Amino acid sequence: MERDWKAELDDLLKDAGSRPRDTIPVLHQIQEHFDHIPPAALPFIARRLRVSESELFGVLSFYRAFTLKPKGKHTITVCLGTACHVRGSERIAEELETVLGVSAGDTTADGLFTLETVNCLGCCAIGPVMVVDGVTHARTSPQTARDLVENIRTGEKKS
Amino acid sequence: MNRLLHPGHLEDWRKRLIDETSPVRRTIVVTAGTCGRASGALEIRDALQAEIDRLGAGDNVGLLVTGCHGFCEMEPSVIVQPEGIFYGKLKPEDAPAIVKQTALAGKVVERLALEIPGTERRAAKLEQIPFYRKQMRLVSENNFRVDPERIEDYIRLGGYHGLLRGLYDMTADGVIEEIRASGLRGRGGAGFPTALKWDLCRRSSGHPKYVVCNADEGDPGAYMDRSLLEGNPHAVIEGLIIGAYAIGASEGFVYVRGEYPLAVRNVERAIGQARECGLLGKAILGSEFSFDLHVVEGAGAFVSGEETAMMASIEGRKAFPRPRPPYPAEAGLWGKPTNINNVETWATVPIILDRGSAWFASIGTEKSKGTKIFSLVGQVRNTGLVEVPMGVTLREIVEEIGGGVPEGRKLKAVQTGGPSGGCIPAASADLVIDYETLAKAGSIMGSGGMIVLDDRTCMVDLARYYLHFLEEESCGKCAPCRVGTRQMSELLRKMTAGKADESDLRRLEQLAQTVKTASLCGLGQTAANPVLSTLAHFRSEYEAHIREKRCPARVCREIISSPCQYACPIGQEASTYIALVAAGRIKEAYEVIVKDNPLPSICGRACDHPCEIACKAGESGEPISIRAIKRYVCDRAAAEGWDQEVRGDKDRVPRDRENVAIIGGGPAGLTAAYDLAEKGFRPTVFEALPVAGGMLAAGIPNHRLPKTIIAAEVEAIRKAGVEIRTGVRVGRDVTIEGLKTDGFKAFFLATGAWKSMRLNVPGEESKGVLQSLPYLKAVNLGEPVNIGPRVIVVGGGNSAIDAARAAVRDPNVKSVTILYRRTRAEMPAFPEEVEAAIDEGIDLKLLAAPVKILAKNGKVAGALCLKMKLGDKDAGGRRKPVPVEGSDYKVEAETVILAVGERSDTSCLTEKDGVAVSASGSVIADPETKATSVPGVFAGGDVVTGPASVIEAMAAGRRAAAMIECYLEGRPLLPEYKLTRPSLYIEAVALTPEEAVSAARPPMPHLAPAKRAKNFKEVELGLKEKAALGEARRCLRCDLETEDGRRAIKALKLKSGGRP
Ligand code: FES
Repeated sequence: MERDWKAELDDLLKDAGSRPRDTIPVLHQIQEHFDHIPPAALPFIARRLRVSESELFGVLSFYRAFTLKPKGKHTITVCLGTACHVRGSERIAEELETVLGVSAGDTTADGLFTLETVNCLGCCAIGPVMVVDGVTHARTSPQTARDLVENIRTGEKKS
Repeated sequence: MNRLLHPGHLEDWRKRLIDETSPVRRTIVVTAGTCGRASGALEIRDALQAEIDRLGAGDNVGLLVTGCHGFCEMEPSVIVQPEGIFYGKLKPEDAPAIVKQTALAGKVVERLALEIPGTERRAAKLEQIPFYRKQMRLVSENNFRVDPERIEDYIRLGGYHGLLRGLYDMTADGVIEEIRASGLRGRGGAGFPTALKWDLCRRSSGHPKYVVCNADEGDPGAYMDRSLLEGNPHAVIEGLIIGAYAIGASEGFVYVRGEYPLAVRNVERAIGQARECGLLGKAILGSEFSFDLHVVEGAGAFVSGEETAMMASIEGRKAFPRPRPPYPAEAGLWGKPTNINNVETWATVPIILDRGSAWFASIGTEKSKGTKIFSLVGQVRNTGLVEVPMGVTLREIVEEIGGGVPEGRKLKAVQTGGPSGGCIPAASADLVIDYETLAKAGSIMGSGGMIVLDDRTCMVDLARYYLHFLEEESCGKCAPCRVGTRQMSELLRKMTAGKADESDLRRLEQLAQTVKTASLCGLGQTAANPVLSTLAHFRSEYEAHIREKRCPARVCREIISSPCQYACPIGQEASTYIALVAAGRIKEAYEVIVKDNPLPSICGRACDHPCEIACKAGESGEPISIRAIKRYVCDRAAAEGWDQEVRGDKDRVPRDRENVAIIGGGPAGLTAAYDLAEKGFRPTVFEALPVAGGMLAAGIPNHRLPKTIIAAEVEAIRKAGVEIRTGVRVGRDVTIEGLKTDGFKAFFLATGAWKSMRLNVPGEESKGVLQSLPYLKAVNLGEPVNIGPRVIVVGGGNSAIDAARAAVRDPNVKSVTILYRRTRAEMPAFPEEVEAAIDEGIDLKLLAAPVKILAKNGKVAGALCLKMKLGDKDAGGRRKPVPVEGSDYKVEAETVILAVGERSDTSCLTEKDGVAVSASGSVIADPETKATSVPGVFAGGDVVTGPASVIEAMAAGRRAAAMIECYLEGRPLLPEYKLTRPSLYIEAVALTPEEAVSAARPPMPHLAPAKRAKNFKEVELGLKEKAALGEARRCLRCDLETEDGRRAIKALKLKSGGRP
């Protein structure tokens, strides 16, 4: 059966605004709920915000926080901000690319991991920093990155 | 919650809050911003709470969870008030001690107190801790005192009092006047006067008007916005209400980075509380002024920090900047007058209104008033947020508050102001910080990021990093920025890959100018700053990358390839021969070694192995035992006779080119001669001693480097077409002048550093005081020397250890004592040599300095020594030994051997030769071309540098040979620089699971100490086959991590039919 996006979105966004200026907050809410912006929902979102679909698409593709693709079960975000960079975060991102076998921005084939990078998480004093499923990890290294992935993998295998 | 409908309500509430707070004896304040939480602050909070509950101490001990205290390096941390006792890097197990001893009994837990580096002291009180002592906390003070989730905390401490004053004691113009009088300037960007900005907006005619808080400045590395919003959101809200009142705005927005979820949450909650209390909304505090505030969460676009782009984003559009004018003050959000300031500026406003402009203006410099928060991060010991009055120096911030760069490192520069800012080199560290001086130094204050860079940072890589960042963040609206940043980024990538040439540097500079002048918005106009500023101060680093294919900081991987090969002065392909050994292809490994090294067996024993120091495996464990692997290969080659086969007779090279005289038969001379012979020249080595090898033969005893090994290597060099004339001292037996008439067309001076330095203490002339080099020479050449029975050796270098170990082997000697004035960590000798000396019964006395040689009847009787301790650092960063008062003691001995250093030996030169010599007595030669002041005369090795390593000397010889060829061909002296790459790629071996866990650097087998007594047999026995091959397998194979390496391996795999 066709999914009733309108009803679903109306329910999700019942407290949200519906003017063009509410575009970014609304997209945040949808992104948070679905972990991405479902492409099929775009027409309904556009209608609600009273913007054209192409405008809406332009906006959401401009901002890095919004994605059209579903994310993996676990999201790993590596900070590539300057403070983390001078402490070697590039190596950590590379290590994760090798361990996970994906490039930054992509999701592993088994749907377990999405690897992302960011330019500063505001924890610059304890870098290099990475965030795994919302939990910030301080003073990381290629080794700790590898271990974190291994831990999640073993945990997944057990369950 | 209280509704404040009347000005008096605020004060009433505050009084009530003070009355209601039950007095506890002490409060433990837990810092729990995002960074604190990431370090485990909430676990600490729980552990403290559990302990308070367990002891039933809730009436006496309070627990307060606040935002960030700034000292993020030490997190998780707590402060026990009112004493201000600080504990950092806590574990939950520390909770009981903190509650019992400090919170209940007021005592400091010594083991948790902070160590003060470089001293033996510990400090616990905030006013004793260097990080906090020098700060002046105005804006960030409440981060220590309020629970950001409770508006009550803020109000109890006098919050919203500034607003009250503004609304009831001042007109809107009066508020602007007050801000003007305070001298407040924007705490982001270039420091535009805040009052002026407000006034423009106030006088603008449109309606309604808006105020915006920019909490998405997003300079990576600067995070004070996050800290303030998380820890003290009401200060920002209060500032915005005051500003809105002054400007006449009715609505405001806080635009927060989406990457700061806790800040978003705390500021949203705080706005809700303020609205509920009547501090936002209609008729604020009973006045006629109405204003409301919304949070907009950013969505990950750096350009949103630019004010026109931010407004577009708030309107719900793409964050495209637009040209100014019109300025936001005239046409901002929805075309209406809008005023944007950043978080710190807004948070400063209530303080000014509360305490008065005169007080605020008394802080800071003439043109920059008040305090500024800096985000001190990067390669600095104490990272965190620091708030200081304007006008302190950069050095005070980095050295005193920040504790300087980590041990053993050197400050290189401080990057301020984010990507739009610039680098201030270490030499300018005394710069006084304010808006004007930073601008003059080619940087900006920006939002206050200070990224400390030490010698591990490559400035070209940093520029590449920034340009890559800006390329990605360029919104793409205007071509100069979009295309310019991409092209600059591409050029920088080429440079960091060692693939650029001089024309690329010129293009980069042109592009930088274009992007600067032709871009539309601030982001674009400043996008070239990272390039311009690093070029201004660190041009030589660019040149090293481009011309020499070197990355001085050893960061750029495409340039470094394998650190071992890169670090080797003669570029030995360590990773290649190690890979061959791992694959069991030992003979090929030998071929790879001798291709670049004419003295392989010697290096396998006596090299100071810069390769192992650079080895990446050493970063997280033990470096690969490269020297031992090399020795294994060479020993094996000798045993199998491969050495003859591989190095064999080099008569295939026609030797029909000029005669070259090499003066000195040490490693520099032998290498130069060998290379020249390979090029077809006719080199003759003149060696003063009866044997060739220089310091190798006469300075290093047989137990460390057997004479047979040296003889074999010298023989191979001779066979390659080098004539070696021993026992000929140039300057005495022949002269350079004379050699010229004999037909020598070029000269290489490599006479080493044989002149011993004195200790300069009384009694040094006594009989029985020897210098280590003449002593070792006599031992090595089999000449008689009388020493002992008790021997003192003074010094800590290899020469001291060699002398001591030679002495202990003398049949007359009963005891040997080494005196060294620093500790073992500072000893320049190889650690394994020191270890072996101790095994052989040599007594090592550290922190001991002889001040007098004792003598009886003109003969040595011992030494009078002082005990030393390590004091402050000297200019070179080493801690200086200082004498301990009244600690003198005697060491008895009949012989004292001094090994305190050597100087260059220039006795081969006569005045007529005209070769320039430095004041310290070394030959002056161009470090790059080895040319001396006389054309055709080159010099290298210890005679130029003073005592250095075997491998450095060999590299000098190699360079000299290349330059001599240029000279004799009449070409300019231009060294050829090549990118570090292996000559051949070998697939990596797969480690077995057991190996992956347990592989470790194998110990070098030694001759048992008992078997070493009174003989000079070689002590190190060399690795056995299994150990050598196993160790080679442990190599991380950095050579495969370049693009070339990856490509080559893919091709190899395809060829062997495996999966690519
Ligand atoms: S630079 Fe990584 S958290 Fe700021």
